[in-house]
Amino acid sequence: MLVDLQGPWNPIFGRLGLLLEVHYNNPIIFFAFMMVVIGGTAALSWVTFTGRWGWLWREWLTTVDHKKLGIMYILVGLVMMLRGFVDALMMRTQQAMAVGPDSPGVLGAAHGYLPPYHFDQVFTAHGMIMILLAATPILVGFMNLIMPIQIGARDMAYPYLNALGLWLTVAAASLVMIALFVGDFSHAGWVGLTPLTELPYSPGVGVDYYLWSIQIGSIGTTIGAVNLIATIIKMRAPGMTWGRLPIFTWTTLASNIIALTSFPVLGVALALLTLDRYIGTHFFTADLGGNLMMYTNLFWIWGHPEVYFVVIPAFGFLSEIIPTFSEKPLFGYVTMVLASMAIAGVSWTVWLHHFFTMGASPGVNSYFSIATMLVGIPTGVKVFNWAFTMWRGKLRFPTPMLWAIGSLFLLITGGMTGMMLAVPAINYLVHNSVFVIAHFHNMFLLIVYAAFGATVYWWPKVFGFKLDEYWGKVFFWLFTAGTLFVFVPMYTLGFMGMTRRLDYIPHTSWEPLLLLEVIGTGFYLLSILAFVIQLGVSIYNREKNRVVASDAWGTSRSVEWMTHTPPPFYNFAVTPVIHARDEWAWRREHGLTNLMPEKFLDIHMPKNTAVPLIISFFTLVCGFALVWRIWWLAAATFAAIIIAMIIRSFDKDTDYIIPAAEVERMEKEIVARAEGRIPAGEPAPVGGGAGGAYASKRTPTQRRDND
Amino acid sequence: MSSHDNAPVDPNTVELWDYEDHGHDFIGTRTLGFWLYMMSDAMIFAALFAAHGVYVRNFAGSFTSQEVVHPMNAIWPTVFILSSVMTYGLGMVALKKGNKSGVVNALILSFLLGVGFLLMEWREFSELAAMGAIPQMSGFLSDFWTIVIAHAAHVLFGLIWMAVMIVQVAVNGFDQNNVYRLLNLKIFWHFQAVIWVSIFTFVYLFGAI
Amino acid sequence: MSHANSNPIDHPEVQLASPGAYLVAYAAALGAMFLELWLVVAHVLSPISLTTAITVIALLVITVQMYLLFKLDLSKTQIWFTVSFIMTAPLIFMSIGLTIWMFITLMQRTMLPGM
Ligand code: HEM
Ligand SMILES: [Cu+2]
Repeated sequence: MLVDLQGPWNPIFGRLGLLLEVHYNNPIIFFAFMMVVIGGTAALSWVTFTGRWGWLWREWLTTVDHKKLGIMYILVGLVMMLRGFVDALMMRTQQAMAVGPDSPGVLGAAHGYLPPYHFDQVFTAHGMIMILLAATPILVGFMNLIMPIQIGARDMAYPYLNALGLWLTVAAASLVMIALFVGDFSHAGWVGLTPLTELPYSPGVGVDYYLWSIQIGSIGTTIGAVNLIATIIKMRAPGMTWGRLPIFTWTTLASNIIALTSFPVLGVALALLTLDRYIGTHFFTADLGGNLMMYTNLFWIWGHPEVYFVVIPAFGFLSEIIPTFSEKPLFGYVTMVLASMAIAGVSWTVWLHHFFTMGASPGVNSYFSIATMLVGIPTGVKVFNWAFTMWRGKLRFPTPMLWAIGSLFLLITGGMTGMMLAVPAINYLVHNSVFVIAHFHNMFLLIVYAAFGATVYWWPKVFGFKLDEYWGKVFFWLFTAGTLFVFVPMYTLGFMGMTRRLDYIPHTSWEPLLLLEVIGTGFYLLSILAFVIQLGVSIYNREKNRVVASDAWGTSRSVEWMTHTPPPFYNFAVTPVIHARDEWAWRREHGLTNLMPEKFLDIHMPKNTAVPLIISFFTLVCGFALVWRIWWLAAATFAAIIIAMIIRSFDKDTDYIIPAAEVERMEKEIVARAEGRIPAGEPAPVGGGAGGAYASKRTPTQRRDND
Repeated sequence: MSSHDNAPVDPNTVELWDYEDHGHDFIGTRTLGFWLYMMSDAMIFAALFAAHGVYVRNFAGSFTSQEVVHPMNAIWPTVFILSSVMTYGLGMVALKKGNKSGVVNALILSFLLGVGFLLMEWREFSELAAMGAIPQMSGFLSDFWTIVIAHAAHVLFGLIWMAVMIVQVAVNGFDQNNVYRLLNLKIFWHFQAVIWVSIFTFVYLFGAI
Repeated sequence: MSHANSNPIDHPEVQLASPGAYLVAYAAALGAMFLELWLVVAHVLSPISLTTAITVIALLVITVQMYLLFKLDLSKTQIWFTVSFIMTAPLIFMSIGLTIWMFITLMQRTMLPGM
């Protein structure tokens, strides 16, 4: 049944014999390896020497608190973004060095320093990581962090599955990082071009790493989508009708509808390719009845909805930030909601614009062209709504607002170039040129801007102190300089005919623009430095920038600003009753800002569990075993996953009750802390960053009697 | 309705916190979440059927679909799987009455019918393999094997789940968790029947025309 | 939480089960499958009307199953099931339909054998 492999295989170690052929003496691999080893050792020793293993386990690794899971999602996303950025640095420098036949080459490359095979892995990893392991986790993280509080919920519909979603994402990210050192990564582009990804043309394990890591990550995202949608439908506070739902919650809903329905299609595309590679079927081969365009088709059925999956929550960020700093309610709430839904719907009908050049009939191309342009209507509605929100508002420009406005500019330019690409006649000229690259980076940067804005905006809510404004502004302007210097030349080069994915630049006339792009990358590098300094300075000065008010900005509008800062792990001592869209603004206007309820009730909470972590660990090992075709290990870990799930299903001790008196004590303590009656340095029994150690500290736990 | 209804609010009577704490509908949340997952699963089959529409004539000189599919044989697994769904349904009726042995018996019956379905599929595919119609022969055969086995994998998973539920119900009775799981398994089991109806029609019958 | 105290069997979704609906759905599905089979083996229709006929029958059966097995309707307990299905169904038809459409035109224009 199985395919014949090139190179060694044995029943115990699978293909690991291939490792003997990897060039570990390559300084780049060595350097990356050292970085990971040093970083890892530093982190582990810090945990060990400060005696924090127990803390780590109780507070983070086994948590089911949506806020902590959200923070971890964002952290994973940021780490992977850094990795992706290093890939980008390598691509920019390689292209700037390898111009013209006379350019020198080092480290085994004819030109520049990256031989083609290595360069190809770099751009593949960059694209795949940035979309699936950086943007997606960061956005899902914000949804987890903010949305439940926005709807006045205490926790989510599936706290346990939520943890599983996070840890599967971590497993996917780990698998990609392992690929850096153990074997190699796919070299066929983040879209996994067939038939290049077929076994005869990619006989190594790179493509297998690519397949399994995306597969695992996408299962995680699908699980997350189920949880988020069910939470929005079922867990809203009393009075939180659909007409009062905060816009960010609406966008979370729209975006997860996309995730829920599109990720399975990606799963199928990858699974069929996996079958081709593992048992020799003929789905995407060039012979024996295979159809390689079918892969491209399935991939983009997912791919285009996915780009809207990431942009719609960014629209949600903007819709929260702009009203706060314009001191006005959002203009056109209903149209905003309808536009989000319309964008989600249209995103499903346009995917062929990624392969107009396949050669389908003019009828097909015209249909997809027009469908693509239709998305301009709801997007336009949104842009006008934001503009009207700012119009005659009392505008302030702290960093979140700067990021938001930058994001709007990017949305407009990126959207315009998208419209150009949607015209088949233009598309035939610029398809697969760097013009396309500039277009979609423009679009993704909109998301990055919005996400940085959201970070600064919600940071005080989550951690209880504001981020430094000065370094925040430095960060913003450096980042913006980077954006301009990299992407304006890139658009230009696209028009000049430069195709994407070049490891060698034949035209010396492109050199100046490529050098400009390197300068832009330098600005990005500096901006990251500024970000790190911003974090450092803010943490150092956290006492000075401490926020105790529930509403950090004084003009916020939605429910997440109606709980303590930072929110206790149970979010609300008593579930709020909602009276208006923008409930917090309503309460402020009516002078009802007292957060202390008159009496307290028992609170029912989910208990910590290590099962998601264990299942994900087995998944990681299973993925590794499948990549290297170590069948026994794959079978054993797969069975272990099933058994772990079955065992968990017999565990009835999954929740606990906090008695009302206890809630009251904790609430009073939070108030005392806010009023400075408890010294700030004192370890917080209730609220650390985003919650507390409560869920696992309670031993013995009180059982909820199961009926 | 709007964010600023300026009707005067009496701060002394306005109800700001929900002291009743209605909680949420736990079972309803679990079943809705599972149904959402089912929608996701439906998209898996949508993608597979889209692929089927493209590979349906890609015989590559090997076996044609008329040589491979035999609707006259495939009708028997159909009878089995639909009967299994029906008996599961009767189990749900027993659940409504709180009849524990009724539920367990219905689950066992559905389980056995499901096993019968898988055995028949096993025979069909071993015959195909024996005659050389293996998935490596052509795009069409790859697609045919994959789509039918994807469904069979669902049946297998459902059977494992059913076995676990038989034990769960016997041990823990109808507690909240078991009730929502039985409802979810009902959704899952009925869903795979809908998929089978589509496979029988669009793969077997269309293939025989 | 209040739900912990009530009997889970009283949950409205449990109470939806009715033997009549299951038996009707069973009979309808099985009957339709035999009807389709008969149409195919008896060759009473031209290929084009045959494919149309069995497609329509299959879609009808699925609709019946959706209604009788999953109880998709607009009642308070079921509305979100119905809404999510109604939002997903078009995606299913679209991804299958548009895919087949684009590949048929591709095949006609490229005349590649076996595509
Ligand atoms: C909303 C945010 C958007 C994102 C994140 C985004 C992302 C992308 C990505 C990743 C690609 C190409 C990927 C590849 O080939 O590797 C792409 C290509 C394309 N985009 Fe966008 N896009 C967005 C919005 C739009 C809009 C609004 C339009 C048009 C109205 C559009 C039209 C296109 C077209 C036609 C292509 C295909 C170009 C080609 O390959 O020839 N995009 N976009
Ligand atoms: Cu697109």
